[in-house]
Amino acid sequence: MDHLLPSEIADADRAFPEALAACGDLDAVLRLKGAYVGREASHAARLMELLKAAPREQKRDLGAVVNALKNRWEEALKARQAELEAVKKAAGGATWDDSLPPPLPARGALHPLNRLMDSLVDVFRPLGFHVEEGPEVETEEHNFDGLNIPADHPARGSADTFYLAAHPGQLLRTHTSPVQVRTLKQLAPEIHAKGGIRFLAPGRVYRKDEIDPTHSPMFHQVEGMLVGHGIGMHHLKGTLEYALRALFGPHTEIRLRPSYFPFVEPGCEVDVSCPLCGAKGCRVCKGSGWVEILGAGLIHPNVLSFAGIDPGEWSGWAFGMGVERMAMMLSQTPDLRLFFENDQRFLKAMGGLD
Amino acid sequence: MWIERSALAAELPGLATLGTRSLAETLASLGFPVDAMEARPGTEVLDVDITANRGDAMSHRGLARDLSARLQHPLAPLAPPSVAEGEPRIPVHLPAAACPIYATALLTLGEGRTPEAAQAFLAALGASSKQLPAVDASNELLHRYGHPTHAFDADQIRGAVSVRMARPGEALVTLDGVERKLSPEDLVIADEGGPIALAGVMGGDGTKVTEGTLRVLLESAWFDPRRVRATAHRHGLHTDASQRFGRGADPAMAPVARDLLVQRLQEWSGATLEGAWTAGALPAPPAPVDLPKDLLTRVAGEPLLLAEAAKALKALGCGVEAEPGHLRVQPPTWRHDLLLPEDLAEEVLRLRGYERIPSVLPPLEGPPQALSPEYLQRQALARRLAHLGFHQTVTYGFVSPEMDAACPGPLGAEADDDPAGRTLANPLGQEYSLLRRSLVPSLMATARQNLKQGQREVRLFEIAPTYRGLADKPHEHWTVALLWAGERWDADPETRSGPVKAKHLLGILRDLVAPEAKQVRVHPLEDGAFLAAELHLTAFRRPDARIIPSYVPHSRFPAVERDLSLVVEQGLPWQGMDEAVRTALQEVPLADLTCADLYQGKGLEPGTKAWLLRLTFQAPDRTLVGPEVDAWVARALAAAESLGARLRA
Repeated sequence: MDHLLPSEIADADRAFPEALAACGDLDAVLRLKGAYVGREASHAARLMELLKAAPREQKRDLGAVVNALKNRWEEALKARQAELEAVKKAAGGATWDDSLPPPLPARGALHPLNRLMDSLVDVFRPLGFHVEEGPEVETEEHNFDGLNIPADHPARGSADTFYLAAHPGQLLRTHTSPVQVRTLKQLAPEIHAKGGIRFLAPGRVYRKDEIDPTHSPMFHQVEGMLVGHGIGMHHLKGTLEYALRALFGPHTEIRLRPSYFPFVEPGCEVDVSCPLCGAKGCRVCKGSGWVEILGAGLIHPNVLSFAGIDPGEWSGWAFGMGVERMAMMLSQTPDLRLFFENDQRFLKAMGGLD
Repeated sequence: MWIERSALAAELPGLATLGTRSLAETLASLGFPVDAMEARPGTEVLDVDITANRGDAMSHRGLARDLSARLQHPLAPLAPPSVAEGEPRIPVHLPAAACPIYATALLTLGEGRTPEAAQAFLAALGASSKQLPAVDASNELLHRYGHPTHAFDADQIRGAVSVRMARPGEALVTLDGVERKLSPEDLVIADEGGPIALAGVMGGDGTKVTEGTLRVLLESAWFDPRRVRATAHRHGLHTDASQRFGRGADPAMAPVARDLLVQRLQEWSGATLEGAWTAGALPAPPAPVDLPKDLLTRVAGEPLLLAEAAKALKALGCGVEAEPGHLRVQPPTWRHDLLLPEDLAEEVLRLRGYERIPSVLPPLEGPPQALSPEYLQRQALARRLAHLGFHQTVTYGFVSPEMDAACPGPLGAEADDDPAGRTLANPLGQEYSLLRRSLVPSLMATARQNLKQGQREVRLFEIAPTYRGLADKPHEHWTVALLWAGERWDADPETRSGPVKAKHLLGILRDLVAPEAKQVRVHPLEDGAFLAAELHLTAFRRPDARIIPSYVPHSRFPAVERDLSLVVEQGLPWQGMDEAVRTALQEVPLADLTCADLYQGKGLEPGTKAWLLRLTFQAPDRTLVGPEVDAWVARALAAAESLGARLRA
């Protein structure tokens, strides 16, 4: 039907996309709009005149062509106008409403458990501790045997420990302590050159506990270990006093109580003066002023021997703490499950970002 | 374990004046934390936590021993009547090494009942009286002195008694009425008709003492702790007796407890002793352990006098001989946990109180070690993603088979991954039965939950291992997954928000991933409302080993920018264009090549798109002149045209 149009209109239509693209600002679009679809002296106005004057039998076809053309121009102009408006808005300084709060950039969050583990690493770094890690699927040798855990210990049972169906000797580690075994074995040949061993092992561990407000089949631990010459309980106490004060504040007191873990001797539980009430007695410390925070002790000579380190020459300490437990205590989060629900509001509030 | 205050004081009279709170603190400082304290009619009870190595402390007498050593108050004397032994009335054979000694007695019961005081004692501990003196007395002895004993109805016993391993096919109905199929690994008490008790665990129903019992045969023996633990575990039968024998009872108590039990039956029930005898003998005491002075000093953190250590160990019942530079220590028969010098050092420190241990930072003996690049990379990645608006999640490492099937994992479907190799033998349930190969399904579930909670936009990531089930074991790979769901929400009131698009997620990945890792897959999920991507961490840029990389000079001469407005086939990938133009301009100082504008739609032929190629030229050593740049642009255009591009009109 284009043959119905005068050549200058057809030319104008061909030039239209380029002219539109060349419009650098809204004024230019308005000028182009005037030229193409304005009321007077525009291409559209000219077409309307043509239509009026057209012979009766052509009117219908011509009308359709004119309308299509006009619509196309109008739509394209509108789109370009919106585009330039958006650009202008984005560029925006001039039109910004100063009374509004300036927009914040997107902000996510680290998980609170990861932040807590990172803080522990930060606290131990100045003492020369680095980070060692191990796999979550472990062998009985690393998870139990190398830690002086007797062959008939109930923790080895399938009621407590997850085992792999196709690989009978393999299990999901029940603590981060197998990292001790791996690291001691790995570093034993170069222990003299390195001048001992000191590391933290943060990570995920698994125990066959039903999910409830205080239990989870997966949780996190941070293990700490040091091997050197002449290491005794005083070194364990000194290190933990430093670290727990760094975490809970300079006025924190610590208390060691005798306890038993097969992989340490002597063994102890470590309490801190309640960081929430300043040891005055509250709900969290059950009025005692103390909160149990971790288990520790001097590395059992059998553990060193198993790894090929002479317990006659070397000695050391180890500790292990539950990250969730500490996080719950510090934040008074009432339910462990919140840490695995990952509600963004919880993560933002509890984990945040440095 | 429940402890009754006055019964404890009966073993250690000096305790009578100690407040309950102080008592609890003293117990805790000895390694026996008190979990609860409760008032009971006329007395108080404490719930004391006993560690697995201290079977000897599982009684009032046992705890009193440790308190006596700490407080330096003497224990009340344990004065059993001397029961004269005679010829066995019923032969007792001990063919199994697991039972070296078995003291017994035969009594005819009288009419008397369990005294009120003993009933009250049992009630305070939550173990109600059975109104049968033989049963109650055995129970009372167990709680007071820690040695489990048993009374059989003597008239139900057929012939000689032996303590032996169970025979294949044997069974026993235990006191709780359950029939137990026995294993040849189970140690049993048997008469000539078969097993009558699971040794150290539970008596049999057929020989139990009832209201009608006239005569009782007592058992006060010692069983190998490992046997008892294994049997208790095998049958899921954890009793007061199995806990004590399982952690190690005192063999020397076997005849003593028998005598105490005889005495109670005589006093309570008016029983007549028919005869008492003992089969076997006490096992040989373990070898003495030496405690060297330097080891004690090292563990304690300060020089301790061996004389002080000797005093502490003696207070705990050890035999101690002072020798030059060390103590030779013979642990008492009730302590099975004193095997190494370290064990003895712990005892010395424990009695002194751990609060007296000095506090010293350990010296650094070697250079500190750096954090591993892999660890640093994960830390940096987590921070980067959090700053880009993503929230770090922690989800379980195991998923349901349905969830596992929903997503193929970071490398795509893998021929060598067999889910059977990642399946748990004993999961909490089907929904937690498979170690996951992908983090995406877990993030999906988390995102759905967040959207349900009314979040307009959900941006999540997780950094955790994924697993491939291979033939030898499940292989672990550190993986990161990102998920972006809902609206792309901008806090700027001047910017329109809209649905999140794949390009947004890809942009993030392009920022993070090394250029060579091009195999990034974005999963458009559920009508495009969710987008997720997942990669092994090995695909990511590693932090550079050098703190500052080598210097590369940048040009101080002006850059020339030229644009080419091209129309290309819709399907032409940018990478092809990029490569073609760069190849054509290989020796040319091309500083940058980008697509500055993409146009699709009106004014273009269907099936085409318009790219605005922006070429930036800059020489390191001179200002570029127009004609040479024109020539290069012409070459670029020719290269583009070879791909079917043409200049846009």
